[in-house]
Amino acid sequence: MTATPLRAHAEEACADELAALAAVDDRPRPPRWRLSPWAVATYLLGGELDDGTTISAKYVGSRRLVEIAVASLATDRALLLLGVPGTAKTWVSEHLAAAISGDSTLVVQGTAGTPEESLRYGWNYARLLAEGPSRDAVVPSPVMRAMERGSIARIEELTRIPADVQDALISILSEKAMGVPELDDEVQAQQGFNVIATANNRDKGVNELSSALRRRFNTVVLPLPDTLEQEVEIVHSRVSATGRSLELPAEIEALSQIERVVTIFRELRSGTTLDRRTTIKSPSATLSTAEAISVMTNGVALAAHFGDGVLRADDVAASLTGAVVKDPVQDRIVWQEYLETVVKDRPEWADLYRACRELG
Amino acid sequence: MASVGALVEVLGVRHHGPGSARSVAEALDELDPDLVVIEGPPELDGLLELGGRRDLVPPVAGLVYAVDAPRRASFYPLAEFSPEWVAMRWALRRGVAVRFADLPAVHALAETPASPDDSEDVEHTGDAEHGPPDAIGTLARVAGYDDPERWWEDAVEQRASSALARFAAIREAMSAVRAADGWGDRDPENQRREAAMRRVLRAAVKEGRERIAVVCGAYHAPALDPAAWPAAAHDTRLLTRLPRTKVAVTWAPWTADRLAVASGYGAGVTAPGWYQHLFVSWSRNQDDEVVSRWLTRVARALREEGLPAAPATVVEAARLAEALATVRGRPSVGLPELDDATEAVLCEGSPLPLGLIHRRITVGESLGRVPAGTPMVPLARDVDRTQRALRMRPSATETTLVLDLRKPSQRERSVLLHRLRLLGVPWGQPADAGRTTGTFKEAWTLQWHPEYAVSLVEAGLHGTTVVGAASSLVAERSAQADLDALAALVEQCLICELPDALDDVVRALAARTATQADVVSLLLAIEPLARTRRYGDVREADTTLVAEVLDTVVARASVDLRPGCASLDDDAAARMRDAVDAAQRGVSLVAGDGPPAVWRAALLAVASDRQVHGLVSGRVHRILLDGGVLDTSAIAERLSQRLSVGSSALAGAAWLDGFLDGDAVLLLHDPALLGIVDDWVSGVAEETFDDLVPLLRRTFARYQPAERRQIGTRLQHRDTSGPSYDGSEGGPTDDELWERAAPVVSRVAELLGLGPVGSSR
Repeated sequence: MTATPLRAHAEEACADELAALAAVDDRPRPPRWRLSPWAVATYLLGGELDDGTTISAKYVGSRRLVEIAVASLATDRALLLLGVPGTAKTWVSEHLAAAISGDSTLVVQGTAGTPEESLRYGWNYARLLAEGPSRDAVVPSPVMRAMERGSIARIEELTRIPADVQDALISILSEKAMGVPELDDEVQAQQGFNVIATANNRDKGVNELSSALRRRFNTVVLPLPDTLEQEVEIVHSRVSATGRSLELPAEIEALSQIERVVTIFRELRSGTTLDRRTTIKSPSATLSTAEAISVMTNGVALAAHFGDGVLRADDVAASLTGAVVKDPVQDRIVWQEYLETVVKDRPEWADLYRACRELG
Repeated sequence: MASVGALVEVLGVRHHGPGSARSVAEALDELDPDLVVIEGPPELDGLLELGGRRDLVPPVAGLVYAVDAPRRASFYPLAEFSPEWVAMRWALRRGVAVRFADLPAVHALAETPASPDDSEDVEHTGDAEHGPPDAIGTLARVAGYDDPERWWEDAVEQRASSALARFAAIREAMSAVRAADGWGDRDPENQRREAAMRRVLRAAVKEGRERIAVVCGAYHAPALDPAAWPAAAHDTRLLTRLPRTKVAVTWAPWTADRLAVASGYGAGVTAPGWYQHLFVSWSRNQDDEVVSRWLTRVARALREEGLPAAPATVVEAARLAEALATVRGRPSVGLPELDDATEAVLCEGSPLPLGLIHRRITVGESLGRVPAGTPMVPLARDVDRTQRALRMRPSATETTLVLDLRKPSQRERSVLLHRLRLLGVPWGQPADAGRTTGTFKEAWTLQWHPEYAVSLVEAGLHGTTVVGAASSLVAERSAQADLDALAALVEQCLICELPDALDDVVRALAARTATQADVVSLLLAIEPLARTRRYGDVREADTTLVAEVLDTVVARASVDLRPGCASLDDDAAARMRDAVDAAQRGVSLVAGDGPPAVWRAALLAVASDRQVHGLVSGRVHRILLDGGVLDTSAIAERLSQRLSVGSSALAGAAWLDGFLDGDAVLLLHDPALLGIVDDWVSGVAEETFDDLVPLLRRTFARYQPAERRQIGTRLQHRDTSGPSYDGSEGGPTDDELWERAAPVVSRVAELLGLGPVGSSR
């Protein structure tokens, strides 16, 4: 039995679309780009090609933002995707890298413990001791490899990286070169190299970027989806895709369950009901689209393995409660209030109300 | 048509299109006409004399208004980048004759019986109202451009080197548009307008002009081409028997803000500042610096607001804008690309500063100026003169002004602002004067809107000077106002310093009080009169007459008070309570030593009448208590009476509401009163209590939370120390009091050097 990865990289999952785009794309491409900026934008936003191939939308939202992002990368300016958790920052950056360089794997995951070696290079100490300092003993970071290859490097959660480590990026971004002083050598970035960083602007333990570093990025703020329909579409497409890859037998036969969850998320997030009649409290959780997706996926899994294969209110209720109630005291009050004042008054939501009440 | 005998070149333009303006300038240079005809009512010819003056600074608008009904007015706004402006300036600079051609305003502004009344309030703005849609904009949209100027640049400018050839192409395109929509040949208004334009052209040809350039909206271009002229008789027939009215014209200053579509000017433009920038760049031959100059201006504006927009990032923003144009497949960088680049690079992704950029640069805050000699309605001239004398320059930007009324020059400013407000020109809006209780300070927010020029024309019907117009306006109003409106007018006269008008108003007021039967109106008249009497001296107004009238009004109101309080329902009682309150404020304002006896007697009479509505009665009791006319024990007796089981609980609650409305101090510091209230509340039957809860809650909700808490604490304390009416039983004994005071006394004694006091008595 061949090993099947749980989740394929973007460039593998969408290999057909990328190939189809490359086939019809006759516009000028920046050096070492697999596609022209136009084709990259089309890849992300979806559309139909002249030869009839349909490209699925990877990002549902403003065309403007995607165009700014692609244009930024084309100017060799680094791109900073900013937004609250769950607004498809990582998703967009992965697909951008896949479309531009055909490789989304050159990624540094930012954490509070990310050392400078992750951004620059480390040493293979066995080799260093045995052979002395040489290029062979250098262990390049993903950024260094991207520079050598002229492709896109991704840095996730840039603001989680300690400030002194962040600053290692400054010379990389402005001089496009990384010195290796031990060898009196340097790595110069090849054409096509660029950096996509993602960062959270609303989270705990964030290290603000220095203005020197900030200045080297073009910033694109990814917003939460504008309309209910957009958000439902996003959740639906992603849940179906995940369901397929996890081989879950349950199918979501109607959008109504998704619409309900998305409505609840939007209402709690904005602090008012969709008809703007009732004010409600907002819980401490971000309640992003990504969380709506995971609530639905969870529900589908429950329905498939423990239910009758049809997604019902009971299947959604547990993970819905878990997503909303992050703080066991405050959020529970908010959630109870919402259930009693809003959910209870909607007759067609009676099953959901009952399911949530049973959970306590 | 060769038979016309002259070369008539029609330059169809886009109103406020910088591209059109540039082409018009080139076409005029090429053609070198001996007459330039511009779309606009022929009455505007009277303004040409000033049109070439250097101190006529765009944006300005040609203002045409009906003399007897100035509300019916048309504006013809011109910005520096308007083709009409460019053509006019071009001709005036070279001494070439210019005239305007359109349906004369004497007809256009005449009241037509068929037109609905509501159109009167809406300003007719040249083409905006009835005119054709922005035909060039339509063509551009069809071609896939979101900015018509960019389409003009690509589709028109780049096509032919000769500007005249470009306009010929536009004419052809417009013929096709007109043939397609048919509006131009169907709409009678448009038919008349084009006939009137042709009439002017025919007259010019007859005069023997040889090369005539016509600058008009592109949509009209095909109809004005000599080849398409119908017979002269056809046009004459269209233009006979039109209604007439008398009109006057002038230049009015305009703002960039008003040019923008957002403020409702249909033929306007979304980004006057951007168009201005384009036009200036083009006319200086800086085509390749459009982007960098724009972004530099944006960066400077951001820096002024304290945002770090370093020069290096401006370079990056320019590069991003160009890359964006490429990604979007556009031939050149436009405003959307510049905005996006500004947001992503200069504003670090935040859209908020963009709003600032939009207001300050994309739209712009420029305000036009007109020369000193511009014909103005006499009133406007007086306003202008006064503004100069007081050194108050009208500005389109909002500014704040704080005036100290004790200084004569500042008081004059205040008077001018008040008078203009009275005349319907709210140039200054009263603002919060800040933390001061003094009456000598006034704060204003000043912002001049160009439409005030019209308001001034309208107010000019009342008089030729500010003071004259304001006085006659007040006199006119005083003839028909009722009593409380008159009283308000009295106050207006005072702050506007209109002594002549004040006499009229006060006399009208005195006459009206004699016949006034409604006691509420009388009561409401007291406060403004009293304020006039009290503060009139600050304004150096003669208030002896006011004092006499005030005394009469107080006397009449006092006499009428008790009968007026009979059989009131809840709403009427609430009105009466407010009126009594207002009157009391007024009376106490002028009373040197206690209120006049007649007023006090009237209040006592109302208080002793048990039939009066609880709300009013309660309030009157409170006033009497505060004024020291009744003492606490008397009030406690009344309260107990009113709240006893005998009278209905609802009436009792209303009384309490009237009585306690205001502050909680009374309840906090008078244990006897609190005791009565408490006993009453705990004594009412449970079902009655349910009815009472809303009323009581309303009363107590007006208190501060801290006050409510304190009341609660006192009630708790009262419970533990047993029920008490007089406070003696539950209160501390003398010994206890002494013990409490002892530490303080001993400390003071120590400080004074009297030695230790100790616990000895």
